[in-house]
Amino acid sequence: MRAALLPVALSGLLLFSPLAAAQTAPPPPAEKPISQETVQSDISTREIAIQSNFTGIEILIFGSIDFSDSRTPGEGTYDVITVVRGPDEPVVVRKKERVAGIWINGPGKTYGTVPGFYAVLSSRPLRAITSDATLKELGIGLSDLDFGRYTKGDPQEQAYRSAMIRLKENSKLFQQVDNGVTFIGRSLFRATVALPVNVPVGRYTADVYLFRDGVVASKSQGSLEVTKAGIEALAYSLAFKHPFLYGLLGVVLAVLMGLAGWYAFRRDRAS
Amino acid sequence: MFQIYLPVAEISVNLTVMLGLGAAVGFLSGMFGVGGGFLLTPLLMLMGIPPAIAVATGANQIVGTSVSGTLAQWRRGNVDVQMGAVLIAGGVVGALIGVFLLKYLRELGQAGLIISLAYVCFLGTIGALMLWESVRAIARARAGKGGSARKANQHNWIHGLPLKMRFPRSRLYISAIPPLVIGVLVGLLASFLGVGGGFIMVPAMIYLLRMPTNIVIGTSIFQIIFVTAIVTLLHATLNHTLDIVLALVLVIGGVVGGQFGVRAGQKFRGEQLRAMLALMVLGVALRILFDLVVRPSDLYSIVPLVGM
Repeated sequence: MRAALLPVALSGLLLFSPLAAAQTAPPPPAEKPISQETVQSDISTREIAIQSNFTGIEILIFGSIDFSDSRTPGEGTYDVITVVRGPDEPVVVRKKERVAGIWINGPGKTYGTVPGFYAVLSSRPLRAITSDATLKELGIGLSDLDFGRYTKGDPQEQAYRSAMIRLKENSKLFQQVDNGVTFIGRSLFRATVALPVNVPVGRYTADVYLFRDGVVASKSQGSLEVTKAGIEALAYSLAFKHPFLYGLLGVVLAVLMGLAGWYAFRRDRAS
Repeated sequence: MFQIYLPVAEISVNLTVMLGLGAAVGFLSGMFGVGGGFLLTPLLMLMGIPPAIAVATGANQIVGTSVSGTLAQWRRGNVDVQMGAVLIAGGVVGALIGVFLLKYLRELGQAGLIISLAYVCFLGTIGALMLWESVRAIARARAGKGGSARKANQHNWIHGLPLKMRFPRSRLYISAIPPLVIGVLVGLLASFLGVGGGFIMVPAMIYLLRMPTNIVIGTSIFQIIFVTAIVTLLHATLNHTLDIVLALVLVIGGVVGGQFGVRAGQKFRGEQLRAMLALMVLGVALRILFDLVVRPSDLYSIVPLVGM
């Protein structure tokens, strides 16, 4: 946005300000050269370790558009969409109903493949960048995600689906930020993604799409790994791989603490 | 403030708040001579810890805080090991039932509801009975009559049951069935609600088994260690719901708080303590009931699929 507005303010040099064109004028209907632009990107942190002091982390996705093959950047609308997606997991959505004055959970709907984390950041609102069909095809945007359950015509379906998206958005596990991608100059861009404290562990993908006049011109893919580290990792893996030992450890530690407390306070009293 | 990440609950909590919570509950349990699980587990749930994790972790915390109490009672010779063993045997059965029940309810998505309802029923009943009893006792003390007339050695239906056993420490010769049944009930409560079950066990042993009160308290806390330890193990193994980091923080707070609680408790009379405890128990019950009855701010909820 900022990068786009600056050239507009400068002059009407539309030729050298493709992004200005994006903001001000509709894309020229003239024939377009074959897009040869490529996008390159990287992530500031490729390994995220969750330790006992973890309260969430911000990662930076940055990259550049390479116009090298064309002598001048082609006229047209350039946009960048970044999608960060965490590992899929099955999720149950339930709705509370009032039964005999008490609110209880009704039967749940299970969605098989809900991304544990999903953030889509774009240089402009998604619908302004490209068509619904393209977004759907690429699976970009919260409304076009496939959660592994789609029963058309069920009037309840949409309510459950949007409730899940809303709840995930509330816990910052789903994010859709229009204008989340900022241009620096003409070809550099950056996007900051905040991973909340409750991010699931696993492998994340970070896709960067370059759109030119609503068509994907180039795509760059990266990934990052979220793991638990230190005591947290030890406790977590024990809890799920050696649960009996883990439980025993819990009991032993509690008993030791109790003994230590008793001993400490007994000495207190004696002195 | 200082945040700490809980590996199994997968949330970050404030370390100071959790230490304080452990200490406050430990203080109350030391003061009133109760386990404190009935306060701790609902409070953890209110603070956003998933119910099943609150239950398992609460049980683990009770293991730690009961150790020092048991040692003190043991030194005074107040533990009837034989009676304890029978209670523990029943407790294992009850714990198994409770753990599987909780596992099943979690898969249905009703664990939170049933735990809450059980808390409301239990705490409501116990709190009301205790309040009634202690208010009468206070009134009696005011009137200056004083002195409770417990009819010792009176025979009741318990003495007609088979499988008689000798419990020398308690000076009893009774059937093993009633303590076994009490044990099962306590095990069930421990694994399902994350409580020690002392508030059920103590009156049952005094009024049904007619054990001497000092032995009752020592034996009850002795068996609570074992039952909560078994419950912790079962939950950790079968449900993966124990958060060891949270349990440790709560135990540390609880052990320290408990020591101060014992001293504070000595400044009050028994019936006053019971009245205060009863009010607190009723307060917790009402708070949980309130959450069940009031329209939730969000009707929908999401959880990861469990029990695959």
